[in-house]
Amino acid sequence: MTKLLITEITRMGPAFCVIGLQREREKIQSIRPIPSSRHSWLNFPHQRGDILECALTPFPGPSPHVEDRVLTRGFQKSATIPEPEIVTYLRKAEVSRSLPDFFECSVYENKTGSGLYAVPGEAKRSICGCETKNLRLELCANQLRATLALPSGEVLRDLPVVDHDWRGFVDAALAPNRGANRAARLERFLNSHFHYKLMSCPHHFIRLGLTRPYQDFCWLMLDTLLPLPQLEWLEEF
Amino acid sequence: MTPSSIPRFDEKHRRLLEDCFRREAGSSTPIPGDDVDLIETGILDSMGWVSFLRAVETASGAADLGSNLNERSASFAVLLSALRDSNSTPGVPERLDSSRGIAQTPALAVIAASSFTVGSRVIPSEEVDRAFGMPAGKLRSRAGIESLAYVAESENELTLAAKAAQEALRAASCGTQELDWIVTTSETHHDYPSLSAQLHSRLLVRENCGALDVGGACLGLLNALVFAQSLIGSGQAQTVAVVTADVHSRTLTPGRVAGEFGGLFGDGASAFILRSAAGNDSNEGYRLGEFLFGCAGQYAAAIQVSDTKDGGLTVQFDGEALSRAAITRMEKVLASVELRSGIPRGSVGGFATHQPNPRLVALLAKQCGVSPSTFPPVAQVSGNLGSSTCGAALHEALRSASKQARHDRRPIFLASLGPGLLFGGGWLTPHD
Repeated sequence: MTKLLITEITRMGPAFCVIGLQREREKIQSIRPIPSSRHSWLNFPHQRGDILECALTPFPGPSPHVEDRVLTRGFQKSATIPEPEIVTYLRKAEVSRSLPDFFECSVYENKTGSGLYAVPGEAKRSICGCETKNLRLELCANQLRATLALPSGEVLRDLPVVDHDWRGFVDAALAPNRGANRAARLERFLNSHFHYKLMSCPHHFIRLGLTRPYQDFCWLMLDTLLPLPQLEWLEEF
Repeated sequence: MTPSSIPRFDEKHRRLLEDCFRREAGSSTPIPGDDVDLIETGILDSMGWVSFLRAVETASGAADLGSNLNERSASFAVLLSALRDSNSTPGVPERLDSSRGIAQTPALAVIAASSFTVGSRVIPSEEVDRAFGMPAGKLRSRAGIESLAYVAESENELTLAAKAAQEALRAASCGTQELDWIVTTSETHHDYPSLSAQLHSRLLVRENCGALDVGGACLGLLNALVFAQSLIGSGQAQTVAVVTADVHSRTLTPGRVAGEFGGLFGDGASAFILRSAAGNDSNEGYRLGEFLFGCAGQYAAAIQVSDTKDGGLTVQFDGEALSRAAITRMEKVLASVELRSGIPRGSVGGFATHQPNPRLVALLAKQCGVSPSTFPPVAQVSGNLGSSTCGAALHEALRSASKQARHDRRPIFLASLGPGLLFGGGWLTPHD
C-alpha cells in the first residue's frame, strides 16, 4: 500500500484531476492517481491534506505526464494534516525558481494570443512548485486567470486557474444570491484584500501543471494556489 | 460620436475581430454569427476565448476588455459592444480611414528628415572572432555578420550623436534654434551630464530647449519617438530632435563578455527631426501613426546585464531562448501593427525593426511571409547597434522611399525589443 498526501485537486470541465505526494526513501515526489479507464475523476470525495492509503501500479503514461499511476485499490483515509504542513512537504518535492526548470524544457508563447505551452516530447514532467514574488488573480471574461512573477524575474500571464477550491470560491462569489455587481465586487476583492492575504501568508506557494496534450501542445496552468480561500472571505465583499 | 459614424466604427472593429478570430480558431473555421456563444457552442474553449480576447486587446488598443465582459456571453456582439464602449472614451483618436482602408492617425507628428552614422572603423567579423578567442568565421557563418563598425579613439556616443543630429537638421533645413526638445536614447552611455545634456551643449540649441534621456535599450528609439509625438500632439513642442547613439565596442570587450554576445555589437547613431504635421509646409516626410508597447516578462531571464562591484560586467545571455523570443515577439508585434493600422504587411515598403543579427532578420522575414529585401541590411555590415539599429533601419527605409515618386511611397512598419522583454511597434505613412 502507498501513502499519498493529497496536495492538488484541479477541475477542468466536469472532471477532477488529483495529485499527491509520495515518500520514496528520502525523496518526496508527485504522483497522479488515475482510474483505470480515464485520466480524471468524476467524483473525488477527499480533501487536500488528507493522507490516503491506496494501491497504485506504474502506468506507461507518455511524457510529460510521467507522474500517472493507476489506482488498483483505495482510497482509505488515515489522517489529515493542516495547510501549512502541506506546503512544508510541497517545498521538499519538485520545485523550481525559473521557467525552463519547471518542466525541464523550453516554454513557448502562443503566437496568436495569450498562454504558454510546452511541447509534449520535450517536457520531462507535468507538475512543479514554486514560491512567487507576486501574484495577481483576475476574472477575465468569466474565466479566472493568474499572472505571477517567479523568483527569476520571469512573468507568466493569463494562466488558467484550475485549482478546485479557488474555482469553487469564485463560483460562490458570483452566485446570484450574492446581490448586484458581483463580478465587480469580486474583482475589487482580488485587487486589494486578497492580494494582501495571499502575499503576507507565510505558507504562500503555487504549483504549475501542464494540460494533457491538446492540439500538439501542453498548456501551462495554475494547479494549486496556497493559501486556499476561506468561505468567510465572502463576507468581506 | 455622431449617429452616422456608428456603423463605420463597427465595420472597422468587425474586421479586426474577424482577423483575430481566424488567427485563433484557424482560417478554415467559419466566422460565427454575432450572437453565437463561442464557448457554449464549442467553437473556442475557455483558453482559446481568453487568448482571442487578448489578441483583440492588443490589436485594438482597448485595454482590459476582459474585465468588462464578465457575466456576459462569449459572442461577437458582446465584444463589438465592449469595443464601442472602450472607443467612446474621450481623447481616443479615430483609427482608420475607411476611404483608403489604411491608417491616417493621430496625424500630429511628421518625420521631416533623418540621418544615420556609424563608427569610422570597419572591422571584418573574422578579426572580431579572433579578438574574442572564437574560431575565425564564426560570426559570419552563425550570425551572418560580415563586418562591424567600431568607433575610432576620437569618437564616442556624443560625437556620433552630434554628427547624426547635425546631418538630420541640415536635411530638414532646420536651424538648431528651432528645436523645442532633444530626446536621446543610448544603451551604452551612462555618464553625467547625460547624453541629451551634452548634445544640447554641443549643438548650441536654445537654452530653453528641453533635453531628455529615455531608456529601453534596443527599444529606446521607439520610446523616444512616442514621447516626441506626444510632445508635439499636446502642443508642448513644434520641432523635436530624436537621437540615438550606442558605442558597444568600449563596453562589451574581450575578456569582459563572451564573444558569442559581445561580438555581435557595433557602434552607431541615428537622428530624426520631428515636426508638427500642421506646421510642416512641405509634403515630404513620413507621418507617425500609432504605437503599441508592452513587456513580455516570461523572457526576462533570457538577457540580463548588470555591473559588478569590481567594475566588471555580468551578462546572462541565453542565445537560443533570446532568438526564439525575438522572432516570436517581433512577429506578434508586426501582426498587431498590421491589425491595428489596417495596412496589409504585403503593402509595406520597409520594416524598420531591431536586428539582433542578420540570420534572425532573415528568419523573421520568412516567418512574416515578406521579402527579406524589405528589411534594410544594417546588422550585416555594422553589427547590432543597440537602440541605433532600429534608427539605422528606419533611416534607410525613409531614404529609399525618398527616391521614389511620391505616389509610389509605401508605409513603414516599426518593431523593436529590449531586455525585459520590452517590446514596441508602430507605423508611418507617407505625408501628403
